[in-house]
Amino acid sequence: MAKTIDIVMPDLGDFENVEIIEVLAKSGDTVEREDGLVTVETDKASMDIPSPENGVIETLTIAVGDTVSTGDVIGSLTMEVGDTVLITPAIATPITGETTVLASAEDAPSKPAGKQTLVVPDLGDFDDVEVIDVYIAAGDKVEIEDSLVTLETDKAAMDVPAVVAGTIESVLVKVGDRVAAGSSLGIIDAVAGAVPPKAEETVVEKVVPATAAQPAPQPSATEVPKTLPAIDEAGFSKAHASPSVRKLARELGVNLAKVIGKGAKSRILHDDVKSFVKAILTGHSGIPGGSGLPEVPSIDFSKFGEIDVQPLTRIQKISGPRLQASWINLPHVTQHDLADITQLEAKRQELKGPAKERGISLTPLAFIMKACVTALVEFPKVNSSLSDDGENLIYKKYCHIGFAADTPQGLVVPVIRDVDKKDVYEIATELGELSALARDGKLKLAQLQGAGFTISSLGGIGGTAFTPIVNAPEVAILGVSRSSMQPTWNGSEFEPRLMLPLSFSYDHRVIDGAQAARFTTLLGKALGDVNALLKAIP
Amino acid sequence: MAGGESFDDTQVMTPGEIDAAVTGISPGEATHSAQVVVLGSGPGGYTAAFRAADLGLDVVLVERWPVLGGVCLNVGCIPSKALLHAAKVIDDAAAMADHGVTFGSPVIDGDKLRDWKNEVVGKLTGGLAMMAKQRKVRVVTGEAKFESPNRLRLDNGETVDFRNCIIAAGSESMMLPGLPDDPRIVDSTGALELTPIPKKMLVVGGGIIGLEMACVYSALGTDVSVVELTDTLMPGTDPDLLRPFLNIIKPRYEAIMVSTRVTGMRATVPSIEVSFEGDKAPSVGVYDRVLVAVGRRANGGTLDADKAGVMVDERGIIAVDKQMRTNVPHIYAIGDLAGGPMLAHKATHEAKVAAEVIAGEKSYFDARAIPSVAYTDPEVAWVGLTEIEAKAENIEYEKVKIPWAASGRAISLGRSEGFTKLLFDKKTNRVLGGAIVGPSAGDLISEICLAVEMGADASDISLTIHPHPTLSETVAFASEAFEGTLTDLYMPKKR
Repeated sequence: MAKTIDIVMPDLGDFENVEIIEVLAKSGDTVEREDGLVTVETDKASMDIPSPENGVIETLTIAVGDTVSTGDVIGSLTMEVGDTVLITPAIATPITGETTVLASAEDAPSKPAGKQTLVVPDLGDFDDVEVIDVYIAAGDKVEIEDSLVTLETDKAAMDVPAVVAGTIESVLVKVGDRVAAGSSLGIIDAVAGAVPPKAEETVVEKVVPATAAQPAPQPSATEVPKTLPAIDEAGFSKAHASPSVRKLARELGVNLAKVIGKGAKSRILHDDVKSFVKAILTGHSGIPGGSGLPEVPSIDFSKFGEIDVQPLTRIQKISGPRLQASWINLPHVTQHDLADITQLEAKRQELKGPAKERGISLTPLAFIMKACVTALVEFPKVNSSLSDDGENLIYKKYCHIGFAADTPQGLVVPVIRDVDKKDVYEIATELGELSALARDGKLKLAQLQGAGFTISSLGGIGGTAFTPIVNAPEVAILGVSRSSMQPTWNGSEFEPRLMLPLSFSYDHRVIDGAQAARFTTLLGKALGDVNALLKAIP
Repeated sequence: MAGGESFDDTQVMTPGEIDAAVTGISPGEATHSAQVVVLGSGPGGYTAAFRAADLGLDVVLVERWPVLGGVCLNVGCIPSKALLHAAKVIDDAAAMADHGVTFGSPVIDGDKLRDWKNEVVGKLTGGLAMMAKQRKVRVVTGEAKFESPNRLRLDNGETVDFRNCIIAAGSESMMLPGLPDDPRIVDSTGALELTPIPKKMLVVGGGIIGLEMACVYSALGTDVSVVELTDTLMPGTDPDLLRPFLNIIKPRYEAIMVSTRVTGMRATVPSIEVSFEGDKAPSVGVYDRVLVAVGRRANGGTLDADKAGVMVDERGIIAVDKQMRTNVPHIYAIGDLAGGPMLAHKATHEAKVAAEVIAGEKSYFDARAIPSVAYTDPEVAWVGLTEIEAKAENIEYEKVKIPWAASGRAISLGRSEGFTKLLFDKKTNRVLGGAIVGPSAGDLISEICLAVEMGADASDISLTIHPHPTLSETVAFASEAFEGTLTDLYMPKKR
């Protein structure tokens, strides 16, 4: 099938308005791809502009003396489509802001049988990728969608599938070769009538000749942010960098917020910006994600299906970084244990009704909190914090305990103060009040501050154990999962006992394993002695 | 590789084609066409045009007045500074009478003074025209409005096609509504005309522009009154900066009425009667000149920007990004109508960013501080963080204030009422902002601007040798005082 395409001036690099000094072809000429059509002269050099495809020149609309620029249409060419097959890429094209130049699908059904060249499709921003696998050999029969080769970019490996079925005549690449869009992979003797799947790619509007004279692609503005992290403007505007360094950073697309200044007084110098970029280009940096850690790759999920983007809640925005800070900074260990609460639960069931009449919801958490007081008094280190410089341990003579509350807005940790001075009923009352405030988002700042220890109870939901994150600068947190009846060996027989799973995470810099085990053991014992827990506070 | 980036429309399509593509209308031939058209030739506009030209772009500069320079050069910064200089000479001469040098009272020839002021303006605007010619910037005269995203139409019927446009159309004085149409009621432009020098003048608006003109007229012998709606002159300025200034102007001016509303004006044959509403204001005052300086309005709404798809808010301001780009990517806005303080030195920096971005450079407006100066007597200048802002945003800072009574130079100038104030970050010792009150404060503030931009700390300044005896020394004194190494003043130990 014949198709007429525009002949477009290719990227001439820095030159605009270059003069045509010779026209090498005329209407009606049969030309091959890469044959020179016109010669242009810049102030640096003259170069031939080659034909984009094999075909017959329809028109040439320029003459010697005309000036042309990149993108100008200089004529048209009638080509036999079918002699070049472009292959559907296995990956979606990265956004370049431009229509991808790809001819395949819509022309393909009418493609004649016969020998065709298999070429690499547009790879988006990648123009020099390595072949890491070749699946075809001369004589192989391939079906549509069969993988021909695997290419690897710095982002991903991708298979290049066949868009026509047929027999491979020859393979033109081998593992380790570097290819770009348009590179020939091999020759296929296509089976007539083979219809490739409907591809999403658009049909060529303008074919740009791949020209020998084309200067090396210049690094484009849009490429830089793809390898460098996006600039965080608020951080950028605070970075300790002089105006000229800021200018350099802008030119290179560097987020100054992530550059560590090596100048006097930690000033960011020109060299710091350059080495930051160098480190990224050579892959020697885990690109610091603010914490010097490698970043999670960013993925455009919409490529894979429909998505919906919802902003984080205010609470999530605040709690997220704090959880991350704790998780990164504290060496966490979690001690798991089981506490026998058969007796406690029996007693609680008994007291629950009367308490309810007084308006108190007597939850297991109230008892657990009370038991924690016993254990915290015995192990004051669990109610301590490391000083900022890490040189001292700060013991707290007060006993304020936070509890993680699940609210529609996110996780909050209200604090009950002076738990050691309150009885189970008082604690239960306060738990109820604070939980209600938390659900309504009406907690005051003071009600969220001051905890020395935190309890996260998922007992009402389920689970057998988990590894809670310490609410730093606290040094420990107690996770509580759902209690269940379990056979327990009492020395002579198995006895059904109600067991409560405890998950005690702690900062190993402060608390060692033996202490943790003793803490949970004591806690278990305290939970077993319900009468002691119910003792009124004088 | 398709080389997609080389196919953006600025390179592929002619402006006419883009126009046609966007509007669907086939364009006729435009009178002018350019890679960059700059709309307005004030400090922002001419800087943008010249910078773009220097970067090799083909530039048309559109100006509605026959002379270049905009408000700043013609009826703003420059002529007012010429008159302020005259005022300063008069005041300085008078001040020396107390110290043994008497000149006698000045004889003021208003016409000659005006001619001189016009000469100053003429020199600068003429210089601009010359520089435009040297850079091959084509100047087109006429009032332009957008006709499409790629075409401007002038009031004389000419059209200008462009690939990129930089809107630098500035702002205009706001007038109070419902004022009588009377030549004795003027805006700042009228006040600069000095015709004739009035006996009694009311300045409506206690902002910088009004106070500068008050200063000029007071020195020329006019009885000046100032009325301000809010509770302070120069709203937004730290109150301590105003004290030395108020001490000087209070005895000189007839009245300074803050928290006072002007409720009406009536033009009578001998005078303008102004009625007030305010605690300490008379109910009526009688003046023979009224200067209305209640602020300026951005001109974004006067350009038919909607025909180019450019969004303008109800204040006439066009929102831009850090590269001065409007919501339409090939149209930029700078200066007074781009939001932020309406200052020429802000506009010129924005101008360069816009021109450079159009030329393909990766420029951003990344300045951290824009200095403000009132060229009153004494001058009041500040930059970076103010105490008002610090308190509003809960920023911790430590303040150091050096009274100019400690500066030998200030004393020998007979001007020891001023002071130099620096605000430091307590943790890093870096300069967060500063302010200076006193003669030449506007010139002295530059060092603090540099300190803020460079992230300089106290010792960077104190270890830099400042010449003695100068007023600039007081900046070093303030840094020394912060460090506790100041010897020119006794300051009790703070820590």
